[in-house]
Amino acid sequence: MFFHIVLERNMQLHPRHFGRNLRENLVAKLMKDVEGTCSGQHGFVVAITGIENIGKGLIRDGTGFVSFPVKYQCVVFRPFKGEILEAVVTMVNKMGFFAEAGPVQIFVSNHLIPDDMEFQSGDMPNYTTSDGSVKIQKDSEVRLKIIGTRVDATEIFCIGTIKDDFLGVINDPASV
Amino acid sequence: MKEIKQLMTMAVMLKVRAGVIKRRKVENLESLEETVASTSQGLSEEKSEATAIEDMCAHPGSFGDMCFLCGQRLIEQSGVTFGYIHKGLRLNNDEIDRLRNTDIKKSLNNKKLYLVLDLDHTLLNSTQLNHMTAEEEYLMSPPDSLPDVLKGSLFRLDFMRMMTKLRPFIKTFLKEASEIFEMYVYTMGDRAYALEMAKLLDPKKEYFGDRVISRDDGTQKHQKGLDIVLGQESAVLILDDTENAWIKHKDNLILMERYHFFRSSCAQFGFNCESLSELKSDECEPEGALANVLDLLKRIHKIFFYELEGNLIDRDVRQVLKTVRKEVLKGCKVVFSRIIPSKVQADSHHLWKMAEQLGAICSTEVDSSVTHVVALDAGTEKSRWAVKQNKFLVHPLWLEAVNYMWRKQPEEKFPVTETKSKTL
Ligand SMILES: [Mg+2]
Ligand SMILES: [Zn+2]
Repeated sequence: MFFHIVLERNMQLHPRHFGRNLRENLVAKLMKDVEGTCSGQHGFVVAITGIENIGKGLIRDGTGFVSFPVKYQCVVFRPFKGEILEAVVTMVNKMGFFAEAGPVQIFVSNHLIPDDMEFQSGDMPNYTTSDGSVKIQKDSEVRLKIIGTRVDATEIFCIGTIKDDFLGVINDPASV
Repeated sequence: MKEIKQLMTMAVMLKVRAGVIKRRKVENLESLEETVASTSQGLSEEKSEATAIEDMCAHPGSFGDMCFLCGQRLIEQSGVTFGYIHKGLRLNNDEIDRLRNTDIKKSLNNKKLYLVLDLDHTLLNSTQLNHMTAEEEYLMSPPDSLPDVLKGSLFRLDFMRMMTKLRPFIKTFLKEASEIFEMYVYTMGDRAYALEMAKLLDPKKEYFGDRVISRDDGTQKHQKGLDIVLGQESAVLILDDTENAWIKHKDNLILMERYHFFRSSCAQFGFNCESLSELKSDECEPEGALANVLDLLKRIHKIFFYELEGNLIDRDVRQVLKTVRKEVLKGCKVVFSRIIPSKVQADSHHLWKMAEQLGAICSTEVDSSVTHVVALDAGTEKSRWAVKQNKFLVHPLWLEAVNYMWRKQPEEKFPVTETKSKTL
């Protein structure tokens, strides 16, 4: 799920960035530092959308660095247990398949793939129904349900299932 | 007028929508805070709910430390890591068994066995660029000006400061072996090297898929194990030049003669002679090690699927390997002359064991039934006897060559000379 939230961060800036462009430098550094990172609490920071305010700078003894408390708005992404997600399949093997939704890595084990879908090995391994009508392979888009999540500093791991109504392939790359 | 009115209503609608979005934003924020709070405060609650599931779930394995069946966070790490397939993936032994059991049935139906391939000295030879000699300088010329035989089989990998030469016959080998085996790469090199080599061997990704294993994936230091290969041990064959890497799986192993192309590779194994690269030569393509072993693999495959009796699932490729090996020197009786030190129990010597595995009968005494005398010196009593009795007198290298080629080798190619400076 995406959220638009306000977060706060203390930014340390080298004195060479001071002057007329202080604010721009601060924002550029903030984007560089924050966008694309994860926190267990908020999830993955997709983009900074605005600055609420920049507090008074505090000079650090010795280094000359100045730290500014910055309040900023950003869009974060955090998957939840029970959430339905659409993801792109990145790898298919005997154990199940891996899929990606932005920064999220999802594993769907073959225990949680419908029983009528069978694994086919070969140079394009896939799970296919016996009548061949549904096929999951690399680059397929699937709709899956999250049953477990773990958010690390840089990565989000999820366990998914497609063994439920209305889940599974939503487009088949082979038919495109 | 009408247009202005329309515009105004649109503006109002936009405002309203903006309000909705704003309100939703706030709601979301709250719900996020709620969930955050519940994950930190409500841990105990979640746990009690989880124990009920835990009782039912065997936790067959995990991804990112979460059970991939019930989604629960697992505190204790168990099972085997399968990092070569995907980062963060672990499987428990029962799950590995289950996967192997499902897979073997399918493989056998498709008439396929499993083949694990070592890289260095088995399928290819690599050297560091700064270890190359002046005689090897010609290999550094741009690809277009290389000798024809090297085009497509010699690769300079500047970013790894390395050069790699694929063993002659490799392309045919991989293509034909892939038809009767599901293939793995298994190297003692690190992951980056393994993937780079797999790219050279299999540029179209037809043969190995995600089955590329490096030392970073092994469960034991300096050892290779079939525990991280998802194939039933009774259906796996291994090609490797290093016997000691497979202590637990010797029965699956087909030992390969080392492929040394570069000088540094020869030197590393103590051969102080000109290398193939320096001699501008190479292993013979149609009769080299890979052509020979492909032939052997096909024979074993044929016996396994078409000549054995009983259920496919009960067949064991290790047994086939043993039987085929025993045929090689069937009918030979071998005597060793001053090869096995007298302190050593004769039947524990590696050449004795090798001859027996190849189907020969070994003896310490000569008699008329002896066919071969193996010696380093033509002047020994038994060597002289062999010559007099018209028996084969061969160098121990004959036995090693037979062992690598899985076929009797012409004895005259392995003569024994008289050592002048011998002391008794
Ligand atoms: Mg090797
Ligand atoms: Zn579980």
